[in-house]
Amino acid sequence: MMINTILFLAGLAVYAGYGISALYLLGVTLFGYLAGRLIPKYRFVMWISVFLQACLLLLLRVRHLLPFSSVIVPVGISYFTLQIIAYHVDLYRGRYEPEKNILRFGLFVTWLPHLFIGPIEPYPRMRDALNARRISRDDFTKGAVRSLWGLFQKLVIAARLDVIVSAISADPKQFRGAYALVAMLFYSVQLYADFSGGIDIVLGISRMFGIRMSENFDAPFFSQSVAEFWRRWHITLGDWLREYVYIPLGGSRRGKWRKFLNTMAAFLVSGIWHGSGYLLWGLLHGVFVFCGDRWKTKSRTGNRIVTFLLVSFLWSFFIWPDTVSALRMAGSVFTVFNYDAFFSGISGMGLGAGDWIVLGISCLLLWLYDWKSRCLKKRFCTFSPAAKVGVICVLTLIILTFGMYGIGFSASEFIYSRF
Amino acid sequence: MKREGRTALSVGGVLIAFGMAFILISELLQPKYMTELEEGSFISQYYREAGGHDVIFLGDCEVYANYSPMELYRDYGITAYIRGTPQQLVWMSYYIAEETFQYETPRVLVFNVNAMRYSEPVSEAYNRLTIDQMRWSPSKTGIILASMTEEEQFLSYVFPILRYHSRFDKLTQEDFTYLFRVRDNTCNGFQLHTETVPAGTLPAKRILPDYQFGDICCEYLDKLRLLCEEKGTELVLVKAPSLYPYWYEEYDVQIRKYAAKYGISYYNFVEQSDEIGLDFSKDTYDGGYHLNLQGAGKLSRYFGRILKEEHGLPDRRLDAEIAPVYDKKLQEYDRIVEERTGDKR
Repeated sequence: MMINTILFLAGLAVYAGYGISALYLLGVTLFGYLAGRLIPKYRFVMWISVFLQACLLLLLRVRHLLPFSSVIVPVGISYFTLQIIAYHVDLYRGRYEPEKNILRFGLFVTWLPHLFIGPIEPYPRMRDALNARRISRDDFTKGAVRSLWGLFQKLVIAARLDVIVSAISADPKQFRGAYALVAMLFYSVQLYADFSGGIDIVLGISRMFGIRMSENFDAPFFSQSVAEFWRRWHITLGDWLREYVYIPLGGSRRGKWRKFLNTMAAFLVSGIWHGSGYLLWGLLHGVFVFCGDRWKTKSRTGNRIVTFLLVSFLWSFFIWPDTVSALRMAGSVFTVFNYDAFFSGISGMGLGAGDWIVLGISCLLLWLYDWKSRCLKKRFCTFSPAAKVGVICVLTLIILTFGMYGIGFSASEFIYSRF
Repeated sequence: MKREGRTALSVGGVLIAFGMAFILISELLQPKYMTELEEGSFISQYYREAGGHDVIFLGDCEVYANYSPMELYRDYGITAYIRGTPQQLVWMSYYIAEETFQYETPRVLVFNVNAMRYSEPVSEAYNRLTIDQMRWSPSKTGIILASMTEEEQFLSYVFPILRYHSRFDKLTQEDFTYLFRVRDNTCNGFQLHTETVPAGTLPAKRILPDYQFGDICCEYLDKLRLLCEEKGTELVLVKAPSLYPYWYEEYDVQIRKYAAKYGISYYNFVEQSDEIGLDFSKDTYDGGYHLNLQGAGKLSRYFGRILKEEHGLPDRRLDAEIAPVYDKKLQEYDRIVEERTGDKR
C-alpha cells in the first residue's frame, strides 16, 4: 500500500514538471474514479463520460482550427483517456466491479512509465499486476536488460535515423524523389525503434518494479500484409479499437459491406486519435486492412517487402507537415529520378562514416532480435547471474558510447508521446 | 553458501571488468589537447610542477601568451608559474587560486583583470578547456557549478563519456598516443610563439551601453582578495598590453578605484607599452592581440624588475634547491627557442 502510494505520488510529481497538465491529470483521475463508482448503479454516467472525454480529445486534435489553439495539451492525454474510456465501458458491460481503492485506481491511470507512450493497459490486467506486484531478482534483471535494449533502440538507432529524416523533411523543395523514398523507409525504422524502444523501457522499468504490462509490438516488419501489421504494431491500440469501436459496431458479423464500414470507422478513429492531419492515413490503412490477404503471394519475403513498403509510404503523413505535402512527396518517388545525386547528397546530411557503420550494425541487431526474440529470451533465462550482469554492462557501454544524447539532443522526447 | 559465494565473485569480476572498460573508453574518448587545442592541457601541467613558486599568474590568454616565467628567472631569479587558460573567467580564477593554495602559498598572486568584463559564461567549449583536466577537488566542483552554461550537466564533468561519446568516429592518432601519457607543451605555463604578425587594422572601438563590471565579477574579485589575505599572499592586479579587446578607460577607472580602496598594486601595461619598449610591428604574433616571444621577453623583464623592487621577491638563482631545477628548465627553454628561431641564447 505504501509503495503504491509512493509510486502514485512519484508519477504525479514527475508529471507536475509539465505544469498545469498535472492538475488536469489529477482531475481526470478523480473523475474516472468517481464516475466508475457510479456506473454500475447509474449506467447513463458511462455515456456522459465517453462523450465528454471523446469530445475533449477531438477538440484538442482540431484546436489549431479553433480560437483556443494555444491551449496546452496534457502530455499523454490520448493514452490515459482511452484507458479510462475502456474502464468505464467495461463497467457498463458488467465485466468487473469498480475499483474502490482510489490509490490503486490512480496508479492504474498515472503509472509513470506508461503515462507518456502507453501501452494502453486494460484495467483488469493492471489491477492484477498491481495486486501481484513483487520484486524479484529475476524480474529486476530481465527488466533492466529490456530497458537497456529499449534505450539502445532509441538512442543508437532512432536518433541517428532522425538526423537524415529531419534533414530531408526540412527542405521538401530540394529533397524529393530518391530522398523522399529514403526518408519514408528510414522513418519507418526510426519510428519503430523510437516507439518500440520506448515501450521496452516502459515494460522493462515496470518489470523491475514487479509489474508485467501488455506487449505492444511483435516484430511488425515481419508482417506479410497490412492487416497482419496491425496485429503486430501498437497492439494495445489495435486491441482497444477492436474492442470498443469495431466489435460494438458489429465487427465482421453483419456482412461484407458492414465489415468494410466498421473497419473504416475503427481506422478513422485511429487517424483522429493521432491527430486531425492523419485522417487520410487512417482511412488508407483501413482500406489495406480490409483488403487483408488478397494480394499476398507465395513468397513470404516478397510479402514482407511489399508490406514494409506500403506501410513506409503511408508514414509520409507523419514526416511532412500536411496531407498535400505528404502526397506530393510520396508521389515524387515515381516522378523525380534523382537517384544518382542521392548517394553523394546523403553523405553530407550530418552522419559520418562511423555513424553509418554503427547504424548498419544496430539495424542488423534489431532485425536479428525481432527474428529470434523468443529464442533469445529463452536463452537469456539460462545465463548465469554473472553472464546476465555482463549483458547489462555491455548494453550500458554500447549505449553510453554510441548513443546520440547530450547537448543539443533531448533523450526524453519520444515521437509517440506527442499523441 | 559456496555457490552463492562463487556467484558473488563472478558477478564482482564482471563489474570490475565493466568498470575498467568504462574508464578506458572514457579516457580514450576524451580530447587529449596535446596537439590540437593544446591550451586545454595547460591547467593540468601545473600538477607536475606544483610547489616552490614565488609568483602565480592567473588569467586568460593574456597571461599565458604575454609573460615568460623563464625570463623572470633568468634576469631576476623569480620563480613563477602561469595558471592561465583560454577565456578564464573571474570565478574560474578564484577557484584555480583556491586549488593552487592546496599545493603551495606563493608570495604574489598576479591576476590579469581583462576577465572582469565578462559576467556570464562564454561557451561550453571554453569551460571545458579550463575545467576538463583539473583534478577533482572542492575547487573543481565550485568552478563547474559557477561556470556551467544552461545546456550543460554537472554529471558530464563527472563522467566525461557523457559529453565526449560522439568522438568515437573522430578519434585520431593523438587519442591513442596520449591515452596513458602526457607531454608538457608550455614553459611553466607560458605558451611560446615565435612568429611575427604586425598589428594592423583592429576592429572599431564600440561605445558600450554599460561599462559597469557585473556583480558576479566584483563578488569573485573580492573573494580572491580575501583569499589572498587569508593565505598571506599579496594580490597584484595587471592589465596585459594587448591592443584588442579594448581596455576601456571606464574599466580602468573601476580597477584603479578598487585597487586604491584596498591598497592593492595595479599595473596597466597597455598605458606603459612605450616604457616597456613594445613595438607592435615586431612584438606580436597575431596582429596585436598577444605578444610573441620577443614581446613577452620585454614585458617579463619590465614586470620582473617591478616584482623584485616593489614587491621584494627573492632572487632564487643561488638557492641550492631551486637553482639546479630552474637552470635545467632554462636550458630546455633556450633549446626550444633556438630550435624555433635559430637564435642561440
